[in-house]
Amino acid sequence: MRKGLLVTGILCWGVFVSFAKADTDEKLLGDVGDGSRAIPVHLIPLVDEEGTKISPGDEPLLPFSMRQTCDLCHNYEKINRGWHFNAAEPNVAPGRPGQPWILVDAGTGTQIPLSYRPWPGTFRPEQLGLTPWQFVQVFGFALLGGGVGELLDESDNPDEVMRGFVSGKLEVNCLSCHDADPAHNQGEYAIQVAHQNFRWAAAATSSFASVSGSAKSMPDTYDPFMPDMLDDLKLVPPTVVYRENTFDHKKRVFFDIVRKMPVERCYFCHSNVNVDQGGEEKWTADEDVHLAAGLTCVDCHRHGLDHDIVRGYEGEDKVSKNPLAATTSCEGCHMIGRLGALVPRHPGIPPVHFDKLTCTACHCGPWPGQKTYRGKTSRAHRLGTHNVNKAPDALPHIMFPVFANQGGISDVYLGRLVVLIGNRKIAPHKLIWPAFWGWLKGKKVTPVDLETVKRTAGRIIDNKKLSRSGDWPSLADEDIAKVLALLKTTEGEPVYICGGKLHRLDNNGNLTAIEHDVARPYLWPIAHDVRPAAQSLGARDCEDCHSTDEPFFFGEVEVDSPLTSEMGSIKRMIEFQDLDPLYTKLFAMSFVFRPWLKVVALGSCAVLAAVLLLYALRALACIARALVGGDPKRGKGRLGTRED
Amino acid sequence: MFRMVSIIAFLVAFGGICVHCIASAIAKRYQWRPIDILKTLVHLFTLFFCEQKLRWVGVLRKLIYLLALLCFVVLVITGFYPVLVYGEQLGGFLLMLHATFAPVFAACLAVLAVFWADNCRFNKNYWPWLQRALGREAVNKAGVKKYELAQKMCFWLIVILALLVILSIVLGMFPLFGTDGQKFLLNLHRYSTLLLALAAIVHTYLIIRIQMER
Repeated sequence: MRKGLLVTGILCWGVFVSFAKADTDEKLLGDVGDGSRAIPVHLIPLVDEEGTKISPGDEPLLPFSMRQTCDLCHNYEKINRGWHFNAAEPNVAPGRPGQPWILVDAGTGTQIPLSYRPWPGTFRPEQLGLTPWQFVQVFGFALLGGGVGELLDESDNPDEVMRGFVSGKLEVNCLSCHDADPAHNQGEYAIQVAHQNFRWAAAATSSFASVSGSAKSMPDTYDPFMPDMLDDLKLVPPTVVYRENTFDHKKRVFFDIVRKMPVERCYFCHSNVNVDQGGEEKWTADEDVHLAAGLTCVDCHRHGLDHDIVRGYEGEDKVSKNPLAATTSCEGCHMIGRLGALVPRHPGIPPVHFDKLTCTACHCGPWPGQKTYRGKTSRAHRLGTHNVNKAPDALPHIMFPVFANQGGISDVYLGRLVVLIGNRKIAPHKLIWPAFWGWLKGKKVTPVDLETVKRTAGRIIDNKKLSRSGDWPSLADEDIAKVLALLKTTEGEPVYICGGKLHRLDNNGNLTAIEHDVARPYLWPIAHDVRPAAQSLGARDCEDCHSTDEPFFFGEVEVDSPLTSEMGSIKRMIEFQDLDPLYTKLFAMSFVFRPWLKVVALGSCAVLAAVLLLYALRALACIARALVGGDPKRGKGRLGTRED
Repeated sequence: MFRMVSIIAFLVAFGGICVHCIASAIAKRYQWRPIDILKTLVHLFTLFFCEQKLRWVGVLRKLIYLLALLCFVVLVITGFYPVLVYGEQLGGFLLMLHATFAPVFAACLAVLAVFWADNCRFNKNYWPWLQRALGREAVNKAGVKKYELAQKMCFWLIVILALLVILSIVLGMFPLFGTDGQKFLLNLHRYSTLLLALAAIVHTYLIIRIQMER
C-alpha cells in the first residue's frame, strides 16, 4: 500500500515536472523560424498588464505590457531566463567575472561592487541592505527589466509591496534592444525608473507613446487601473498618451523590431569612455575595429530564443548552453577566417605567448600608458542618461587597462560556486578599489548596510565639503577613526576598507592599516575596443612589453582611496600577474642583449656553414678525382688530364 | 611524446656507453681492484689539464673545448630538466640561464669547427671496401686508430646538428615565421638538440677512449 502510494507520488511528480517544463519551453508562433532571412513585420495589438487589448479610446489609457504584448508570439518566460535577466537566479553559472554594479556614495566614502551573480570579489545587494525594490531604483536605469525587476512583489516589506502595486513591475523591455526606430528613447527609460514608473517605462521609450507623471509621488492607495481624483492637485499621476495614428483600423501598432539590432542600442548600457584620452569627445576616439569593419555587436554576441547570449570568452562553452559558445570567440572566427576575419600569422611571436595571454591582452583596450587610465562606463556612471555628471573625477573610479591574471570560469552546483577552469592567462582588465564600512568578525568582513553608514559616517563626512565633481571627499585618518569609533557595536569590530587595505583602530584608538583579502580590488576582463593588428602590443617589437620601463609588466596601477594619506599611491602591474618580479625584471633586461645574441648565433652559424661547405666541396673534389682519375698509378688523375 | 623519446634516447646512449665500457674492460682483462679504479679516475681527471707540450694554439683549443663542454652540460641540464622531470616547457630562470650559455656554446662550437675540421677529414684508409671496389691500391689499415672514424663522424654530425639547432632558434626571433612556423622551429630545435646532445655525449666518450688508449 505504502509502496504503491510512493510510486504514484513519483509518477505524479514526474508528470507535473514534465508539464511544467513543457509549459516554459513552449515554442510560440514567433519562436520557430521558417528559414526566411526577411524581417517579420511586427504590426500587432498592444496588450496591457492584465491581458486586455488596448484601444486608443480606453479610459484610463494604460501602457502596454511587454510581457503580455510579446508573449502572444514569443515565449516571454524563456526569454526572461536569458543572460541579461537571470542574474538573480541562483543556479545560473556565473562564468567569467564580469562588470559589477557599483554602489557609490561619496558622502559615506563608499564605492563597492555588487552583483547577484556569485563573482568572487563582489557583494550581494542584500549585504548592503538593498532589497530588489531599492536595487531597481538605483540601477534600473540600465536594467533591461525582467529578472530582479519582476521580483518587486516578493518583498518582505509591506510598504514595498504596496509601492510595487502603484509602480508595477519592471518587465523585460524588449524594445531596449530590438527597437530599430530612430525615435526610440532609452534615456527616457532612466527617467521613468527614477519616477518609479516601472509599469510605464517600456512604453515611454517607444516612439509612439509619451508618459508623464510620477508613481513615486502617488500615495500607497493609488490604483492606476481605476484612478480616482487625487486630493493634492499638484500631484500628477503616471499617464500614457499614444501618438495620433499609432493604431491602424484594426487597432494594431507597428513596431520596428529587428533581430540584428544596431550597435547604438547596445551602447546605451555598454559604452566606455577613457577619461584620460579624449574623454567624452567621441570624435577623438576610435571605435572597435570590428564595428569599423561593418560588423555589429550581435554578429559575435549571438543567442537564440533563450537569450543565452554568447559572452565570447575562451572556455565559455564549459558553462554555457549556447551551441555557438565554443565557436564564437576570437579564435572561433580568426582561426578559420569566418565572417571575413583575418587569419593571423603572428610572425616572430613565440607560441608560448598564446598559452599565457588572451587575445585581448595585445589587441584590446587603449594602448597602455605608464599609468592606468581612468574610465567611465554606462552602467557605472549613467552615461547617456539625463543630467549625468560629466566631470572626469566622478565616482566610481575605474582604472584600466590592468594586465592581470584572469579569474577562473565558475559554475554553481548545489548552491556552491565551483571553479571549472582556473584560467590564469593574462588579460586586460578594468579595476575598482572597493571602499566601504564593515564589521570584522574573525577573518570575515561583513559590509555595514548603507543606511546605518549614512546615519553614522554621514555625520562626520558630511561636515567635509563634498566635491561638486562627484569625487571623493578628502578624508583624514582622524575622520575614519571617528566614524569607526561611532560604529562600534556587538556586530563585530568596525573597519573601513579602502585603497586595498583594511583600516581599523588599534588599542590606543589610532588608525592602522593591514592587508586583507576583502580589500583586494575587483577586476573584470575587457574585450573592447579591439585595436587593429598594426596597433597591437608586439606589432613593433618584443620591447613593447619586454622592457624594464614598459607598462605591460611595470606600469603603475593607481590605488584609489578617499584617504588623503593614501592618495597617489600605486601598485605595479606585475603584482596582479602572479609572476616573480625579480625574474620578470631580469628577463626584460635580457632583451637589451638579444641583438648581441642574434649576432653571435648568426655569426656562429655562418662559420659552421662555411666549414661545412668548404669540406663538403673538398670531399666532392676527392670523389670527382677518384671517379675521373681512374688508376691512381698513372698520376694524380685531375679532371681532363686522363690519358687512357 | 618528446619527453618519452628523450628519456629513451638518453637511456639507450648512456646504457650503450656503459655496456661498451664494461665489455672493453673485460676484453682487456681489466682488474677491478679499487686501486685500479682510482687510477683510472685520476687518469680521467688529468684529461682536463693542458699538456705541457702544447703550443698556445693547442692550449687555446683545449680551453675552448672545455668551455664548450661546460656550456653543453649547462644547456643540456637547463633544457632537458624541466622537460624530462616535470614535462613542462623551458621557462623562468632556467630559460635565462639557457639563453645566457647558448651563444657562448655556439661561438665555441664555431671556433672548434675551424680548429678541428682539418684533423677530422676522412681519408682513403677509412674506406678499404671503396678502394677495393675502385681497384685501387691496398690501404694502410695500421694508419687508422681505434675509434677514430666514429669520433670524426660524430664531429661532423655535431657540426651539422649545431647549425640546425642554432638556426632553428635564432630564426624564430625574427618576424619571418608565423605561429605554425614557430611551432615547427621549436620542434626542430628540440629534436635536433636531442640528437646533438647524443652525438656530443658519444663524441666526448670516444675522445676519452682515444686518450685512454694512448
